[in-house]
Amino acid sequence: MPRDYPWVCLFKKNGLVKEVYVKKKASSREKSEFIWGWIFILPTMLGLIVLNIYPMIDTIRQSFYKTGDFGKGNVFVGLKNYEKVLGDSEVWQALWNTVKYAIVEVPFSIVIALLLAVMLNKKIKGRDVFRTIFFLPMVVAPAAIAMVWKWLYNSNFGLINNTFHIKVNWISDPKIAIYSIAVIGIWSVIGYNMVLFLAGLQEVPRDYYEAAALDGASGWQQLINITIPLISPTIFFVLVTRIIAAMQVFDLIYMLIDLNNPAWKKTESLVFLFYKYSFEQSKKGYGATVIVVLLAVILMLTILQLIGQKKWVHYE
Amino acid sequence: MKKKVVAIMLSAFTVLSMMGCGGGAAAPAGDTETVAEEPAPAAEEASAEKEAPQSIGKSVEGELSVTIWDEGQRPGLQEIIDDWSAQSGVKATIQVVDWNDYWTLLEAGATGGELPDVFWMHSNVAQKYMENDLLLDLTDKIAASDKIDMANYYDGIVKLYQSDGKQYAVPKDIDTIALWYNKTIFDEMGVPYPDDTWTWEDFAANAKKLTNDDHWGYAIAPGNNQEGYYNTIYSMGGYVISEDKKTSGMDDPNSIKAVKLFTDMIADGSCPDLATVSETAPNELLCAGKVAMSINGSWMLAGYRDNEYAAANCDVAVLPYTSTPADRVSIYNGLGWAAAANGKNTDAAWSLIEYLGSKEAQIKQAELGVTMSAYMGTSDAWVNSVPAFDLNGHMKMLDAKLVFRPYSRDTTVWEDMMIEKLQDAWTGEKPVEDVCKDIAAEMNADLAEE
Repeated sequence: MPRDYPWVCLFKKNGLVKEVYVKKKASSREKSEFIWGWIFILPTMLGLIVLNIYPMIDTIRQSFYKTGDFGKGNVFVGLKNYEKVLGDSEVWQALWNTVKYAIVEVPFSIVIALLLAVMLNKKIKGRDVFRTIFFLPMVVAPAAIAMVWKWLYNSNFGLINNTFHIKVNWISDPKIAIYSIAVIGIWSVIGYNMVLFLAGLQEVPRDYYEAAALDGASGWQQLINITIPLISPTIFFVLVTRIIAAMQVFDLIYMLIDLNNPAWKKTESLVFLFYKYSFEQSKKGYGATVIVVLLAVILMLTILQLIGQKKWVHYE
Repeated sequence: MKKKVVAIMLSAFTVLSMMGCGGGAAAPAGDTETVAEEPAPAAEEASAEKEAPQSIGKSVEGELSVTIWDEGQRPGLQEIIDDWSAQSGVKATIQVVDWNDYWTLLEAGATGGELPDVFWMHSNVAQKYMENDLLLDLTDKIAASDKIDMANYYDGIVKLYQSDGKQYAVPKDIDTIALWYNKTIFDEMGVPYPDDTWTWEDFAANAKKLTNDDHWGYAIAPGNNQEGYYNTIYSMGGYVISEDKKTSGMDDPNSIKAVKLFTDMIADGSCPDLATVSETAPNELLCAGKVAMSINGSWMLAGYRDNEYAAANCDVAVLPYTSTPADRVSIYNGLGWAAAANGKNTDAAWSLIEYLGSKEAQIKQAELGVTMSAYMGTSDAWVNSVPAFDLNGHMKMLDAKLVFRPYSRDTTVWEDMMIEKLQDAWTGEKPVEDVCKDIAAEMNADLAEE
């Protein structure tokens, strides 16, 4: 007799699944569907297990060890690494840097992308050209982006300072460097968010707008009262994935900031710290602990969002 | 309704898979193939423009795999290795993996037991590799060889690749530090070119004369240790790390004085401030005609040679001294040729290393302009390898007091800490004395942990 799995109960409670059919005997057709289903997902499952799930579990395991060189001589130290993390001001600073980056990158990239998507959803001339232009940064290698921006930002010879005749240390002033980096982050991700929003906008029925226009609603009112509620599932999806990605920021910082930079301490992200410990200093155990902390933070943020979505995300 | 389910599943799935990726890079143990295929994110990004290397190369029977990290040296070295192939009949090919990926992949390879047959070793990690028996023990082979005698090589490089009385690598090359300068700026400001009569005091005084609104006299970043303050520290009688590698010498009055030489220059404006050098490295400033002098290692030669401006305007002289020419110091370092302990062709690998270390090959290495050679007295030909510069600046530093680059078992740990802390001295936020004492205290703690 098949049991009701907890997640089925959850779906039932939420009214997601109206009826759960439980048949005593599976027909041969169902059996073959079952087998073929598994065969089809097997390659993906294998890839996930080998490349993602096993390393994830192994990372968590390593966070309880003081690791030796070349994977030999690991010593189990229990929660020592975690105790050290709690008292390590560098970790907290890195977490705070990461949060600052996310706080700037996520909202701006979503709002700008949404406005662009709404504009580019209208029938305007050269629409495809603009869509392509905004998506281009997404296709460029992050290393190349970072190098170009590094020169734009250069305080002595950079284009920005020389064009506006100002002297701002965009990437070497500890107070603003992380925001300068966030600007690059926004710039590179707008196109991706925009495409997702455009897909969402395709599904909003035209007649809502017609009705609203008849009632004399302005473009802004239409955006607030029709568009946003109707594509809120897409916004939610983008929000969740962007926050996760922003919390894992690494490549931009790695390319822009080096040890000589006075903004080093104020821009180092958690993943950067993990990289430093694990690969530069070969303290793999402690590096793993840092990344597990990040995992916990992301997990918490995501759970909060999943709870919070009930208040503002409208399905159908 | 369906949509909601899909959305929840999708978000849940994304959370899981993304976090899987985040943690993925942290798993060096178990499955080496995974690690080799997924280089650290940084490595991946840094080399994104090129084709990212997939592995460090592995031992295959009947053919030698050789791995290095400097593309500039590949053509010359391949020529030398081809000479060896002609004698031995064994084919050997060089694979180049850039510096960052090299160490990540070498470590992954070492963990999984798949190293290239022959590869470069460096002072940063040599101790770790030797202690873990990953490198082929060459002691007996060297003793039996009529081509290799460790007495022929610069002492510091030989010792670097020794552990427990065993020799694990044969010295390949040596580098020296010299003073690169921009002739055009010197002419413009009416200052005579630097020569072997300069003291560090002259150096600072002239840097000031060479400074105006368009350019600075000299530039140095906190990270320029081997190409900067390490040289003055030893020249002025200080030290970075004690002989027994147990205590830091950064709080030695002479060490402090040596660092202060540079921070004073920053304070009086003849060196650019920290923000400038952190965004544009000193050698880039030299190539842009923004500084008159830069202290660089001989490994920078290819970069200056290939830069049109530098080739046309720059030249190189010996480093200044403190009170007598006898205390002219060059911090030196040298790579070693090492072989994998568990390689499939250890005999051929040794034969290649023996050839690469031989006088004949070491002379050819210098002649081809690859680098100066670790075999004493074989580098003379190197001086003429780049017509644009008078390389005597670097060559003559071989006759100066050679001090081996300070190292311990985990050099990067305290070296990175030192660079970070020196920032405060650069900006003038804290007095140099306090910063150096602070560095010494923390370095002593790091050394105690090794």
